[in-house]
Amino acid sequence: MGKVLIIGYGNPLRSDDGFGWHASRLIARELAGHDVEVITCHQLTPELAEPLSQCSQAVFIDADAQGEPGEIHWREIQAQAPSSSALTHTCSPAGLLAGAARLYGRCPQAVLITVSGKSFDFGDSLSPVVSAALPKVADRVRQLVSAEG
Amino acid sequence: MRKIMIDAVTRIEGHAKVSIQLDDDGKVADTQLHVTQIRGFEKFTEGRPYYEMPSITARICGICPISHLLAASKACDAIMSVRIPDTAVLLREILHCGQVVQSHALSFFHLSAPDLLLGMDSDPAQRNVLGLLEKFPDIARDGIALRKFGQQVIEGLAKERIHPSWVVPGGVNTPLEPAVRDKILSGLPDAKATVRRTLKFFKGNLDQFKEEIEHFGNAPSMYAGLVDAAGKLQLYDGGIRFKDADGKIVADHIASRDYRNFIGEAALANSYLKAPYFKPVGFPDGVYRVGPLARLNVARSCGTSMADAEFTEFHQRLGKIVPGSFHFHYARLIEALYGLERMEALLNDPAVLGRQIRAHAGVNCQEGVGMIEAPRGILIHHYKVNEEGAITWANLIVATGHNNLAINRSIHQVAQHFVDGNHLQEGMLNRVSAVVRAYDPCFSCSTHASGQIAMHIQLFGPQGSLLDELKSA
Repeated sequence: MGKVLIIGYGNPLRSDDGFGWHASRLIARELAGHDVEVITCHQLTPELAEPLSQCSQAVFIDADAQGEPGEIHWREIQAQAPSSSALTHTCSPAGLLAGAARLYGRCPQAVLITVSGKSFDFGDSLSPVVSAALPKVADRVRQLVSAEG
Repeated sequence: MRKIMIDAVTRIEGHAKVSIQLDDDGKVADTQLHVTQIRGFEKFTEGRPYYEMPSITARICGICPISHLLAASKACDAIMSVRIPDTAVLLREILHCGQVVQSHALSFFHLSAPDLLLGMDSDPAQRNVLGLLEKFPDIARDGIALRKFGQQVIEGLAKERIHPSWVVPGGVNTPLEPAVRDKILSGLPDAKATVRRTLKFFKGNLDQFKEEIEHFGNAPSMYAGLVDAAGKLQLYDGGIRFKDADGKIVADHIASRDYRNFIGEAALANSYLKAPYFKPVGFPDGVYRVGPLARLNVARSCGTSMADAEFTEFHQRLGKIVPGSFHFHYARLIEALYGLERMEALLNDPAVLGRQIRAHAGVNCQEGVGMIEAPRGILIHHYKVNEEGAITWANLIVATGHNNLAINRSIHQVAQHFVDGNHLQEGMLNRVSAVVRAYDPCFSCSTHASGQIAMHIQLFGPQGSLLDELKSA
């Protein structure tokens, strides 16, 4: 069984922007005991290339400013070197996968789960419509982890 | 008169811009650093209970929250009038060493190495950490590994890498478990090897930067840093030592509570950043520098074996007082080595596993000052409280503030030497940004631009009309 790495990211003090944060913490509790590593962080940074290179499947969870609030999107991510003008503060999942491949010789399969937010104002809780997506996302991730097993 | 704006200076923490005023011949007439954000922590913490200050002020920064956590907690210790348990002192300093290592790694590898390795004139689209990753993967791996180690030290002790609540007024809130100590100790040999490898590489490449070394802010200034009673480098404790440009000690062992006798604060036009100065000399001539370069200039030694060997070589190569701000990079690497060695010594102290870790008290003094060496230099938190412990006044002097005047002077020197207003090249302006980066300023870390790199250069005509502008893609 290959390890699954779950990276939930966002700002938990900007309401729905913290979706990835809340989701990853929920998943960490629900999947305790599985061969899963969960990282919760404010933003993607180059250091994540290393743990990405050590898993077989990665799941990125983020909020999205586009779309209907609460809408869940799931898409596979391929490694792609950033074209230009990348700042330290704006690593993308695809760029991190490329970094993992370049620096450590391998990168996992990866999916990006995003949930469209309703409010990105100051606040430490999710909008009800976005909060309702939490168990659905956790369920999808649980299925993926089971499939990996 | 024409004006060039570097808006924003990139690969720094926080937001700032630089204006360069040209004369009619296209030569640099004046320069100014503008810090364009305001955080307001001094004001909006008024009314909050003093014991909330560590957690509140840690939010000032996402890179060095530990520095604010420690300085705030030390100020609270003073308000409580407690001497915290010895074990808590050890644990706080280990945490601090972890932060210094990760912060210095960030500054050197992620922020400045693109200039140093890819070249000041290289393609700006590639001159970033990801370009570094592509062309120098070994060094990028080292940078990632070193920063990760520092973060793991923080996470091991404080449970969270960013904004932990482990350091509290009176000490820390959980003891160190042997397994965590052993895990950190097991990672130290690799971390030290990484820094030594990087130092060797950096020293071997110094000759490539003769022109930058010559013109990157080597104007005379004073230096300030914390030292212990014997004059050795101190990051967590100690008193302030000021040296003048010739290396003469002009003030020594200044206790935190006495800082206002020696440090004044001036306001600058067009900037939200205060400009501290050495009070006995006055403003603006009392300019001094803090941070890694200043610390190695004021200290007699580091106090650990490998760092001291590097310290000796540093001064043998560059002089008793090293004036060039380019050498902040070199000093930063030596300090990273010191941080690792110091951490090892502290972890091997049997008292580090002690279970008495916190002193409890209420308000016993209505004023407290906390002072530490943040990675970027001296950090001072000064609070006044009422009898109930509510903050009535707060003053924060951050490392970048101390360096404000020196950064301005360095910008002026670099611009005068490198910028030709008649033949403007991106590499010229990058050198202006690079000298700001050498100080590793932390203007603030609250928000970050997403997407495009924010380089915006405008060229104004004599009447103030916009003649040309360059925006990065």
